[in-house]
Amino acid sequence: MASFTPYTVPAPTTCPAKRANLTARPPPTSQGLPEDDEDHAFDPRSPRSNYSLYPLEYLLYCVDCHQIRCPRCVSEELVTIYCPSCLFEVGSSSVKTEGNRCTRSCFQCPVCVGPLAVQSLESAPEASLLSADNAASSGPTGPWALTCSYCTWSSSEVGVKFDKPQGIFAQLSKIRNGSNTGPDVSLTAGDTSPTKREANLAEPESTRARFSALRAFYQSQLASSSTGSSMAGGMGDYGFSSPAALTRIMSIYSGSSSKPKNKATVMREADIPNEGFRPINLDESQAILKLRAGGYDETVTMAQAASQTEEGAHFADDLWPVASLLRTKRAKRCPACRHILSKPEAKVSNTRWRIRLVAGNHIPSVTIKPLPTPGVPPPNVLAPLKPIQYLLTFKNPMFDSIKVTLATPAKTPGRFASKVTVLCPQFTVGANSDDYDLNEVLKAEDRDQRDRRRDDDGSHQVEAGKVFERGRNWVSIVVEVIPATLQIQPTPSLLQKADEPDADPAPLREDEDILEIPMFVRLEWESEPSQDQVGVAPSGREKDAKEKRELAYWSVLGIGRISQD
Amino acid sequence: MSSSTKRHSMMPRAGQLPKAPVNISSSVVIHDNAVLTGNHTINISSETVIHPRNKLDSSHGRITIGRRCIIHERVVIGAPSSDPTKGEFGVTLEDYVTVEVAAIIESGCTTIGEGCQIGVGVRIGRGAKLGKHCTITARSVIQPGEQLPDYTVLYSNGTRRTDKRGVTDLKNKAQARQIDVMRRLITTNINRFKE
Amino acid sequence: MSSRKQVKGEYIETDTGNKVSRKANLIGTQHIMLGGKTVIMADAMVRGDLTRTVSAQGSSGGAAPQSNTSIFIGRYCFLSRGCCLRPPGRIYKGAFTYMPLRIGDHVFVGENSVVQAATIGSHVHIAANAVVGEFAIVKDYVRILEGTVVPANMVIPSFSVVAGQPGRVIGEVPEGGHEQFEMRDLYKTVGNNIPPPAPAAAAA
Repeated sequence: MASFTPYTVPAPTTCPAKRANLTARPPPTSQGLPEDDEDHAFDPRSPRSNYSLYPLEYLLYCVDCHQIRCPRCVSEELVTIYCPSCLFEVGSSSVKTEGNRCTRSCFQCPVCVGPLAVQSLESAPEASLLSADNAASSGPTGPWALTCSYCTWSSSEVGVKFDKPQGIFAQLSKIRNGSNTGPDVSLTAGDTSPTKREANLAEPESTRARFSALRAFYQSQLASSSTGSSMAGGMGDYGFSSPAALTRIMSIYSGSSSKPKNKATVMREADIPNEGFRPINLDESQAILKLRAGGYDETVTMAQAASQTEEGAHFADDLWPVASLLRTKRAKRCPACRHILSKPEAKVSNTRWRIRLVAGNHIPSVTIKPLPTPGVPPPNVLAPLKPIQYLLTFKNPMFDSIKVTLATPAKTPGRFASKVTVLCPQFTVGANSDDYDLNEVLKAEDRDQRDRRRDDDGSHQVEAGKVFERGRNWVSIVVEVIPATLQIQPTPSLLQKADEPDADPAPLREDEDILEIPMFVRLEWESEPSQDQVGVAPSGREKDAKEKRELAYWSVLGIGRISQD
Repeated sequence: MSSSTKRHSMMPRAGQLPKAPVNISSSVVIHDNAVLTGNHTINISSETVIHPRNKLDSSHGRITIGRRCIIHERVVIGAPSSDPTKGEFGVTLEDYVTVEVAAIIESGCTTIGEGCQIGVGVRIGRGAKLGKHCTITARSVIQPGEQLPDYTVLYSNGTRRTDKRGVTDLKNKAQARQIDVMRRLITTNINRFKE
Repeated sequence: MSSRKQVKGEYIETDTGNKVSRKANLIGTQHIMLGGKTVIMADAMVRGDLTRTVSAQGSSGGAAPQSNTSIFIGRYCFLSRGCCLRPPGRIYKGAFTYMPLRIGDHVFVGENSVVQAATIGSHVHIAANAVVGEFAIVKDYVRILEGTVVPANMVIPSFSVVAGQPGRVIGEVPEGGHEQFEMRDLYKTVGNNIPPPAPAAAAA
């Protein structure tokens, strides 16, 4: 069995926003746990827990609300849109018109998602024939193809070759959509000038062109119908598939109570090819023949088909290079007070952050490891029913000392309840030192060392109510765990109580042997009132009163796997 | 700045291992740090380049390396396999084979066809037979006895496809040029490896 | 910092704070540039000898005609056991040449990883057994997970988590995770005169 390391930073913390009712709630679990369950212990096995547990690094901290904020509850704002491959910034307006993919020469392999590079299909001229001077002028010549350096896929496999090595996106869409349709290729042209592109009655070939044809058709239908019925159409005039139905529903919600008119305007569906209508081809004999000839290798996988920008890829020669999807830099805001929690610099190449309020600077980090016993190596798996002690170390990042109160359920939730005892559930962690004077730090570390040595001399004992070890801004305490046995013994019917449900005799589910302890952490500290609050109430400064703060959250400690024998 | 690196190599002496009987063309480039060991013959044909820290071990069978091959650093050719039976015939690399960093080719009738590209950290099992111009991407594993047809590409941990680029000439030319450069960069003393 | 090296010890410690294991495998040392405070563990291999053979001609080329450094390594880098750094090579203007490999600051290269990138930014973590293909460009604050194969020519933007064969971006580095790329503490744990770690030191 693979070894299990206790979670190194086991402070996946429940987002308080869940309780503060700020996020959409996931559906209730099968256990039907009540949602506003301040009194209930957090269950790390509940399917819902996946949505509220985050490692400490993922959590932000709102300094106005004094609350932890998780990735699920913050609201995000786009700062920059860029291509992850060429790292060029893309304006939001061009994203609207040209779509969310890079329009330069960045493509992904349709077979293996590796990057594609433009390569000449002809061999480069011999180096020996070139003098150093004219070497630059006479590079390799075309035709060119996009090739994958990883799986050796080449666009020439689907018959795509390029005349020049630049502007691949434009060349590719030209090849794909045929040169005669020209500007229809981009969404812009399709959107803004739908009438012009109807000039030729040829059936629109590409999905995009078909989409814009359909869109243009229904827009014109909608326009003609809405002039007749003045926005809010009468009940039952249109089928559900009609776009006017949406308009009608929207107007119901927006509360505009214009009188329903019973004028029956019939809205027609698209039915000729240049309106974007295309009957499905039910004759599959071609495909069957191809399948028979090429076999499995000629077909595409689900993932490959899904990565294509146009639907309907069934065979390997339907696979086209995939233009790389754009990526964003995003700022995050507190859902309650709209305060900015993190904001990156706008430039793509700049990795600095203007604002970065991470929870790691406000709540203690927790590390866990087995209590070292001399001569006995820590076990790989936990023996059932055998007490084992763990060392929890809290490190305080704040410049105020904090009082920590811990609470765990006496038995872990789930079918296999292990017993948990926190030997010292209440303690104070010293402040993080503000000044970075090296001498001070060294001295403090020296003191740490001395303390430790003194402890080693004798008084280093596991004792209830006492801190195991303590440093300048950290404290270690001991947690004792008695892992449950994974054998399921049915309760003898004599002892069974009426209100107690039967033990679930189902076999061990995935990861059910992992011992996880939910732990409620409550922090109390006193801090200087924050600056802007002083500005609001100047009387606060005269009193020089420290502000009392409190923060409480659930966290989960992953201890290890319980042995199955 | 680079004073840190002012020192001589601390390589273990190659002489500690038994020197293999070799048959090396004079145009071969072998870095001094490479190790040729074993008791069967090691044949290396012309213009092949062997990078430092390579281990060619012929104790489990004869090793034959074709023309214009490039064996990058830390490659082990003729590695012992789980099957302990020894054979006369160990590993054959045909012409224009490239073996990248830290690949392992087990001994025991293992054949690598012409123009194959063996990626970084690949392990090729005993008795595997690779056809011509195969590409094995990095960290792939080829099971003992596995056979790959010509132009097979093995990628993404075992997925196969066929190379249809048709650029074998181009590839061979590029390989020749690469060898030209390496001859200049890698100091060699073939006599060291000969008896 | 203890300035001059001890007579016997696993590491050679330089004036600029580099700690290079005596069992490391540096080839072509005159072409390797270390920025200082860099740790090179035993069996790590750095191929400085694969230098550029075609000089960059033209307007931009004349910057440093003499220096022929093939591997630049910044400050606080950590090359684990068995890793291998080598410059990437390709056909350039009709001839094959190696190009320099540039590595920024605070870069960790895990055990048995092979790096042939063109550029590795700063604060990059490459886990064990990863392969970074030729001419890949890895920007700052990137985490490459264990066993990843980054294909040749791939560009990995900042704050990416990369995994898979071939490597693809599978996630973003969270805002609170930037400090984990810091290598100063790791640097302190390696060297000739390092006291054994305290029995229950609070690891950050």
